[in-house]
Amino acid sequence: MKHLMTLPAMLLVLCGPLAAAGDEPAATDTRALDEEIQSIKTDAIALNRDLSILEEELLFPANTQVAVFLSMDVGDFFALDSVELRLDDKQVTKHLYTPREAEALLKGGVQRLYLGNLKVGNHEIVALFTGKGPNGQDYSRGASLKFEKSIGAKYLELKISDRQARRQPEFEIRDWE
Amino acid sequence: MLATLLLAAVASGAQPYRLLGSAAPDFTLKATSGTNLRLAEYRGQVVMLAFWGSNCGQCGDQLEAVSRLVDTYGSAGLTALAVNVDDNVAAAARFAAAHPVGYPMLLDPQKQVARAYRVDNLPMLLLVDRSGTIRWAARDYKRDSDVGYQEQVRVLLDE
Repeated sequence: MKHLMTLPAMLLVLCGPLAAAGDEPAATDTRALDEEIQSIKTDAIALNRDLSILEEELLFPANTQVAVFLSMDVGDFFALDSVELRLDDKQVTKHLYTPREAEALLKGGVQRLYLGNLKVGNHEIVALFTGKGPNGQDYSRGASLKFEKSIGAKYLELKISDRQARRQPEFEIRDWE
Repeated sequence: MLATLLLAAVASGAQPYRLLGSAAPDFTLKATSGTNLRLAEYRGQVVMLAFWGSNCGQCGDQLEAVSRLVDTYGSAGLTALAVNVDDNVAAAARFAAAHPVGYPMLLDPQKQVARAYRVDNLPMLLLVDRSGTIRWAARDYKRDSDVGYQEQVRVLLDE
């Protein structure tokens, strides 16, 4: 009986280190595989970023590129709902803002609203803003700017801010020289 | 898993929906409540997209079936967006008021979203998985459709 009880114990003592030694390489292999997968993921993200930049450079070359950005400052007198953008009397984009997007803008985010191409010369941009005004009523305002596109990228900014003195929102288009 | 769902779609008898397995086109639409909603903001949840029109006989029943599923599985990560494709927004709002559901009713009078999703029949129901891929489509609604909807929803919620 004594022998019967000691035999399993001896087997356990003998086989224990063997089993542990067998698990260790497996764990190392899994860790190495995880690291390899992570490395491939990082490479894929970097490649995707490079391709996006390349695509943008090809579709919107610097000499014809025009980009329009939108920013909001304060926003006590205006809750943004949508922006319609017209370039040379042609609608180029219309964006509806979700509460989260509007909040992101109020926190200082800047949105690239439009990216396109324009030939060298004089152009006009018109932006139509809709939303809720100072007393919660429907509010719609427009802003326009005549600008000259020369060789090189053109950057324009639509800026919504509060005019405290008049307790009204203010809409302007700025040309980033 | 994707292959199984694709086969299931084919086995249902309808011509396979062409956008199965592809990324769900993102959109922002105005809801009948006045809020703007964007599909991309639901990433991480299983989304049921129900396209409907106020002149469609089965649409009300399907919207109610989807509402029941959202009630049951909402806490597990299921959400639904109903997209109305009527030209007449007022008619859509009236229909929505008469069929209250526990999820947003979006308005697509220009049919830009319906075109992007190649909606060719009403009602039409799509299931978008947590990573934003269209995984299942149903182009009609029958009384016994609920069981099939539930099975597909559970498959995607379990992933």
